[in-house]
Amino acid sequence: MIPDYSIGLLVAFAAAGVAFFALMRETDGLHRLLLTDLVEVVTLAFIALVGTDLAEALILPGLVVGVSELIALSEIYRVKEGYVRPPAAGLQIEVMESAPGILAAILVVYGIVLSGFSGGAVAGLGVLFYFLCRDHHERFELIETASGYSWVLWIVAFFVFMLLPQYWFFAVMLAGSAILVKVMAKMSLIGTMRGGPNA
Amino acid sequence: MPDIGGSSLFVLEFGDILHYYTPYTLTLFVLALIFTGLAILSRPEGQVDIAFGGDAYYAKETAVAEMRFRRFMTIACGLATMGAMGSGDIFNFTLFASLVGITNVGIVAAVKSRHVLDAAYEYGIVAMVATLPLFGGAALILATTGTLSIPALAAGASAVPPVGKALLALGVIGEGMAPFYAAKAEMFRAPGAPYVIMCSLSSLLIFLRVVEIAITI
Repeated sequence: MIPDYSIGLLVAFAAAGVAFFALMRETDGLHRLLLTDLVEVVTLAFIALVGTDLAEALILPGLVVGVSELIALSEIYRVKEGYVRPPAAGLQIEVMESAPGILAAILVVYGIVLSGFSGGAVAGLGVLFYFLCRDHHERFELIETASGYSWVLWIVAFFVFMLLPQYWFFAVMLAGSAILVKVMAKMSLIGTMRGGPNA
Repeated sequence: MPDIGGSSLFVLEFGDILHYYTPYTLTLFVLALIFTGLAILSRPEGQVDIAFGGDAYYAKETAVAEMRFRRFMTIACGLATMGAMGSGDIFNFTLFASLVGITNVGIVAAVKSRHVLDAAYEYGIVAMVATLPLFGGAALILATTGTLSIPALAAGASAVPPVGKALLALGVIGEGMAPFYAAKAEMFRAPGAPYVIMCSLSSLLIFLRVVEIAITI
């Protein structure tokens, strides 16, 4: 009987082989950038195969590294190919005129109820959708400042956990609400990514 | 346990995650620190190209905004290198190594020159692909031994598979290209001397460090 881990490892190595073969054959720059994403997914699968709480905690930094490299490389690709054409006006869909307010409100309220990382993701999705559909000439410094301060509060909560463990409940609440604001603020910026003066 | 780095001079513990310095890693750390200081203080070079077959030459200007960005990336690269030198946790080390890879691309990315950007793009793809062996090696070590702490692995509770070590070293080579500098040669044609040198110094340092890790664990 082959253990599950070995089977998973075999599958991951096979997938990596396919991805590397595709990268070797492909010559178009943009397609190669997309193919590296295939390699990134296999990387995450390698970590996920360990299947413990620690592995779950390690996937997040692995994902962040992959995404940041992807963003940096696509920016380099854009500059080196000289793509400067401003994006066209947004989509003209009726739902995007009427729905954003109420949908965003429902998602943000539900996100605040959930709190923490997943709550931030849900609320962030609402704000993202709102920015995507409506005008987005907002004060981005404000969003970034809120995100920065909430990150600091999150770290403060970790110091409370380590130095004053008897106040753990306060630290849980602090960390839960701070990460909510931080994830929400960061995700909402995605909704504004379509060129224009603020981009 | 082959003790190539000498005895620990300093240990900083955060639970089971720790940072430690031996005379070997401390030397590498100080080297990175000194060079980061030099990169902060020094002014970028004014690169001069001589036209072949004549007396003409043209000087390349480094704009202030470009210089600021590249200096910031150089400092970030120095900090990531210093972190990689002191880390006693294999996963933290791999994260620092991939940060070195990203900042190496960032150091030359602000240069508005087609061939430099082409080289940076190709090198960035290699650095991105190299996260597979890098994180894969760390995950394999975690799966077979149950720990990522370098001192715990060095104590030898359970054997580290050679495949894990090999993948780790391969990943670091991909991130930093340390022993194969020819692959980065086009990137070094970017003007701004103290900043581009950080690319090779940081990759050399993380390579020396991964050699120490692979021998110790």
